[in-house]
Amino acid sequence: MSASPAVTNAGPSRGRRALVLLLWLAAVLAGVAVISRTQFSADLSAFLPASPDARQRVLIEQLQSGVASRTLMMGVEGGKDSAQRADISRALGKSMRSSGLFEQVQNGDTSDWQEAGTFVFDHRYHLSPDVTPERFTEAGLRDAIVDTLSMLGTPAGNMVRPLLERDPTGETQRIAEGLIPASSPRTENGVWVSRTAPRAMLLTTTKASGSDLDAQAAAIARVKLEFDKAVAKAGGDATGSGAEKPRLLLSGAPVFSVESRDKIKGEAIHLAIVGAIVMGCLLLLAFASPRALVIALLPVLTGVVAGTAAVSLVFGSVHGLTMGFGSTLIGETVDYAIYYLIQARGAAVRGTGWQRWRDLNWPTVRLGLLTSVCGFAALLFSGFPGLAQLGVFSIAGLVAAAFVTRHGLPMLAPDGATGMGMRRQMARMAGGIVHYLPRLRIGFVVLGIAALGLMAWQGGDLWRANLTSMSPITKASQDLDASLRADIGAADGGTLVVVQAADEQGALRATEAAGLKLDALVADGQLGGYESVARMLPSVATQQARLASLPDAATLQRRLVAATAGLPLPASMLQPFVVSVDASRALPPITRADLADGALAPVVRALLYERPGGGWSSLIALHTTDTFDSAKLAASLSSLPEVQVVDIGRELGSLYDRYLHEAFVQVMLGALAVVVLLGVYLRSIRRLVAVCQPLLLAVILTLGGMAALHVPLGILHLVGLLLIVAVGSNYALFFDQLQVTGRADEDTLASLMLANLTTVVSFGLIAISDIPALSAIGRVVAPGAFLALMLSAAFVRKANKIATEAVS
Amino acid sequence: MISGLKTRLPRKLRDFAVVAALLCVSSVPAWAFDLPELMGLLGKQKHGEANFVEQRYVRGFDGPLAASGTLSFTAPDQLVRKTLSPRPETMSVDGNALVLSRSGRTRTMTLDSIPELLGLVEAMRATLAGNAPVLERYFRTKVTGTVNEWAIDLAPIDERLASQINYLRLTGRAGEVLGVEMEFRGGDRSVMTISPRRPGVAQ
Repeated sequence: MSASPAVTNAGPSRGRRALVLLLWLAAVLAGVAVISRTQFSADLSAFLPASPDARQRVLIEQLQSGVASRTLMMGVEGGKDSAQRADISRALGKSMRSSGLFEQVQNGDTSDWQEAGTFVFDHRYHLSPDVTPERFTEAGLRDAIVDTLSMLGTPAGNMVRPLLERDPTGETQRIAEGLIPASSPRTENGVWVSRTAPRAMLLTTTKASGSDLDAQAAAIARVKLEFDKAVAKAGGDATGSGAEKPRLLLSGAPVFSVESRDKIKGEAIHLAIVGAIVMGCLLLLAFASPRALVIALLPVLTGVVAGTAAVSLVFGSVHGLTMGFGSTLIGETVDYAIYYLIQARGAAVRGTGWQRWRDLNWPTVRLGLLTSVCGFAALLFSGFPGLAQLGVFSIAGLVAAAFVTRHGLPMLAPDGATGMGMRRQMARMAGGIVHYLPRLRIGFVVLGIAALGLMAWQGGDLWRANLTSMSPITKASQDLDASLRADIGAADGGTLVVVQAADEQGALRATEAAGLKLDALVADGQLGGYESVARMLPSVATQQARLASLPDAATLQRRLVAATAGLPLPASMLQPFVVSVDASRALPPITRADLADGALAPVVRALLYERPGGGWSSLIALHTTDTFDSAKLAASLSSLPEVQVVDIGRELGSLYDRYLHEAFVQVMLGALAVVVLLGVYLRSIRRLVAVCQPLLLAVILTLGGMAALHVPLGILHLVGLLLIVAVGSNYALFFDQLQVTGRADEDTLASLMLANLTTVVSFGLIAISDIPALSAIGRVVAPGAFLALMLSAAFVRKANKIATEAVS
Repeated sequence: MISGLKTRLPRKLRDFAVVAALLCVSSVPAWAFDLPELMGLLGKQKHGEANFVEQRYVRGFDGPLAASGTLSFTAPDQLVRKTLSPRPETMSVDGNALVLSRSGRTRTMTLDSIPELLGLVEAMRATLAGNAPVLERYFRTKVTGTVNEWAIDLAPIDERLASQINYLRLTGRAGEVLGVEMEFRGGDRSVMTISPRRPGVAQ
């Protein structure tokens, strides 16, 4: 379109044109402003339910801000030998500790525990579970002292002997027993090493919350920097001896989150660029006009901006997956522009093409838009923010793109696009398809029946994809994570015992009650042990009861004399014990504030925390054995209402099942809404059936193909099916329209052909994406959209007439 | 054996070997008993049960503290030490797992996460299994005596173990360990006397 005055006069008025373009520009800029201030997330949380039950809420809290979400595991491999790796581990541990970014850094170096040991010793009568009134009777004292004496002259005696006069009843030993984990990494040269590979191990938790991805990324970068420094310090840079350069292995939830975010971001940009180039080439072929190309892309860009901004405004943040999904929108929104640019051509009076298009073709495009919106509206009601985001994104994007096509494009190209490009050939091909395909109708029906049979045979097994199949984390990363996790030998992450109460003391009391039940399972051999905050921070009630069971100095002195009669340890040697006990009676109970810093602080913080929604929670980590039975665990804790047993794998599984079921219902509702809408518009059962027939068959054939290829289907495949209906309904409606008007000019056929080609190509691109969630959608929609067009053509009744006109 | 020694050892050492052999007049044949040979003998026993009594000499206490119980070993890596007196206590080692039962409580630990403990366990376990390489990983060994009355001195190599234990000395006859003596840093000492229970012989 040249901007000659004659043309300008023939099109929309100059004032109207300026106003529309300005409003459009302002809207896009506002959208960009919103997006620029948007937080992008990539964690699983968007795919967790918004209204969870109690157990799921625990799971979500843990996934979002639990200690696991900010735990990093590190391995040091290569280097000269294990001694050099140990040096690097120590140097790295030291610099990380002083960086202030990490709550704790563990590498087997126990030098930090000196201070914690002193604290425990000083508060042994607060902390030892053996401190009861019976313990301080004559019989109790004698029993405890004999017990302690029995350890003298054994390897354990070395630790007992120095404390004997002050702690003859062995309370320090008793506390230490509880604090030594049942499984911990192998130690060599004073640091943790792997049991399976020549590798030093470190474990750290960041101070920053697991959901703060920028802070997590900074922490990861810091680890890498400090590692390089530690390597340089240990002389690992010198590669003269032929030894491998030491290298760092990193894993854990923060690494996954940051990597996923970067990967999805990168992939979305990559897909957008490749999609734009391929689309550009197609459009150039079709229009042979760079100007038409730019105009065709405007609704797409506006749609992506509108969709992203809408999600940001509604949800506060945009999930990476939604952003990736944006690239799929290109395929559908570019269709609107194609329809307009081609169908507005050939006006009798210059500059009126847009008015003719508005009257003749816009209603069909609008109906196509409405069916799509109906389909996606079902997702809005999803209990899962992730799906709801996709719904909001799609609706806002499609509406904006259609709006721009309807109101904006006429201002830029009142008569559509000039130039014919390859469209004549496309139209001829389309004509041929329309002419010949109806002959294959029976073949398609037979295929459809076969597909249905195959699906029925596979049954529910067809939908066997799970939550992890949506995760963009590669198999190699998962394997590394499993390997490092096994080396660390940390508590079993699979089953968590979670205590919830209104306040801190309530949580601690319930934790103590749960601990008593768990002790039975430890004695039974089902548990190797467990980690409980009550070992370091008992409830005030428990501490007071312990302190109250301590006798006064005179009484203790008297009882000791009787208790030690005939023992090799006379009461006269135990004066320091009497002094210690007496001093303890006057001490206040330990509070959380006392443990706010020091070596025990991170452990306390990991196991006891204030819940985001109010109330307090405590976590008990389990060390399970081969005979562990989670049903027995749940049964033994069932009498404690504050205590929940969360089997993470099973919860995630049931979560996904609920999610899949919900998505099924929503997709069905969406499809129903599309059918109702079409029925209302067409006002004819016969036409409605004619329009729905190819769509249904396209969905069935796509599913049948997936079943034949043994692709495990999941939620995103389901969303893809909805997209087939949304995109395919446009094709079906056009053929329906053609039968009413009985006229198929080559431009209409070419626009259909081109629109389909761009859709198939854009979804084909995401089908080969590295991100499973995106490729799932692409693999469904690309063949589905193609089938929808073919089948729409195949099921046209007055096909010959249309085709003849087109080819002639 | 003697000829091998003659060709390989420096003269001074050879003299020492000869003197040592002469000193062991009671033992016939009078050759120098060495680690591979001892380990070969010990390794033949795949399973053993024994009673033990232990005298523990502790600084600040007059006279030894006594303990007694049973020991059981099954090759290659299962060892159970059951103390019956003065307090019932069981320490059982199976591979890398250590289970301690005491005062009605059971604790599980991984041995290799506490190297000094692993060293102590291996002093007993690797000796009983006749596993020289493992033994030499943790200790400098010195074998003296004869087949019928041997002793093996173990000096810890690992720093952390050395900070706990001065030395270990195991004594025995042929493939049986009959005594374990341990001296801890600080001077405490324990002397264990082991009496094997032979299958079929009532105790």
